[in-house]
Amino acid sequence: MKSRVYSILYMFALTVAFTALVGGVKSLSQDRIQRNQELKLQRIILRVLDIKVDRGTSDQDLAALFKSRIKTTSVGDRLLYLARAEKGPGLAGIAFPVGGKGFWGPIQGIAAVDPKGEKLVGLAFYKHSETPGLGGRMTEPWFQDQFKGLALRPMEKGRKIFYFKPAGASRKPEELDAITGATQSSMAIEAFLNQELDYFLKNIMGKLEGEKS
Amino acid sequence: MAKTPPAGEIFKAGLWSDNPVLRQILGICSTLAVTNLMVNTLVMNAGLIFTLCMSSMTVSLLRNITPLRIRMMVQVLIIASYVIVVDLVIQTYLPDISEALGPYVGLIITNCIVMGRCEAFARNNPPWPSFLDALAVGLGYALVLIFIALVREPLGFGTILGLRIMPQGFTPWTIMIMAPGAFFTLGILVWIIRAFYPIQAEE
Repeated sequence: MKSRVYSILYMFALTVAFTALVGGVKSLSQDRIQRNQELKLQRIILRVLDIKVDRGTSDQDLAALFKSRIKTTSVGDRLLYLARAEKGPGLAGIAFPVGGKGFWGPIQGIAAVDPKGEKLVGLAFYKHSETPGLGGRMTEPWFQDQFKGLALRPMEKGRKIFYFKPAGASRKPEELDAITGATQSSMAIEAFLNQELDYFLKNIMGKLEGEKS
Repeated sequence: MAKTPPAGEIFKAGLWSDNPVLRQILGICSTLAVTNLMVNTLVMNAGLIFTLCMSSMTVSLLRNITPLRIRMMVQVLIIASYVIVVDLVIQTYLPDISEALGPYVGLIITNCIVMGRCEAFARNNPPWPSFLDALAVGLGYALVLIFIALVREPLGFGTILGLRIMPQGFTPWTIMIMAPGAFFTLGILVWIIRAFYPIQAEE
């Protein structure tokens, strides 16, 4: 009986001690971790909006640039990042999160369109669980850059905003190169990205008029 | 209770005769997962060695006051705490690598090597030999992973530590990046080592 009480008290004391250790480290590091994630997202948003960030820009400069050029707002439950024009009034572009189901897990990214919502100016994926070297190549520049300049027209029955074709087989402007060897990942991206862009064009773009000035 | 072996023997066992990966086939999950890039491998090694050494030391320090029947629970608590600390530190200072390693840092908790050393060595030995034992076994693990990464990164990406070493025309072997590439590499390595240096019991 005595040993049982001792065991319980011992485990209790040890748990308190180690929880305190973990909690201490956590509270010391969480600001920095949060900041790392914010900075990463800010860097990506600036990149897809085609706002030049020099290599080796310090974290402070990046945050300042983001603050001066980007206005964060939302329409409904959708976050929007509005880029102010470098000179004069008006917008330089609109960025917004896109995401959906990949082959192995969720994919998250940021897309950017011109102020009129006529074409894509940039796209970046920053979170995914696809196979490195296959679906994981969605983060490579050749794949993301081909979305630049893609014309945006709301989807109609039987017509999507863009299609993936085997690399090298694309003929029309709305046909883009799929990732070789990653058919499932490519199909997943085609499915959710068309949906997300279409949703933006039909439900968000119209409600943005007030923000543009 | 067995007598504590001298430091030389501890290191010989950890690095070679009882090498966790080659001889005991432990820690295979992370061996397969993180060895396609050398940078990831090195960070994973550092994380495992830290966890292993700290856990062994702590288990050893508490060995005389820990009730026998709850010792496993205590070990898991200790190991998990150190792993979370490692994970937080990597997230704080190496955010890119933290992302590349994904869940595998957290999975050090379930790495059999850590609990294996606590059970087999640290709970019966004083802190300093336990620390040495953990260090030796951790280095044994690290060496094998580095060797596998040395095969996989050049063949899979054409680089080592991100620097290009293969000729321009070289076509990367995609399979080397994926888990099967690690299975082949590790399998061949274990085969060769065991063929030339059989485990005593098998002789």
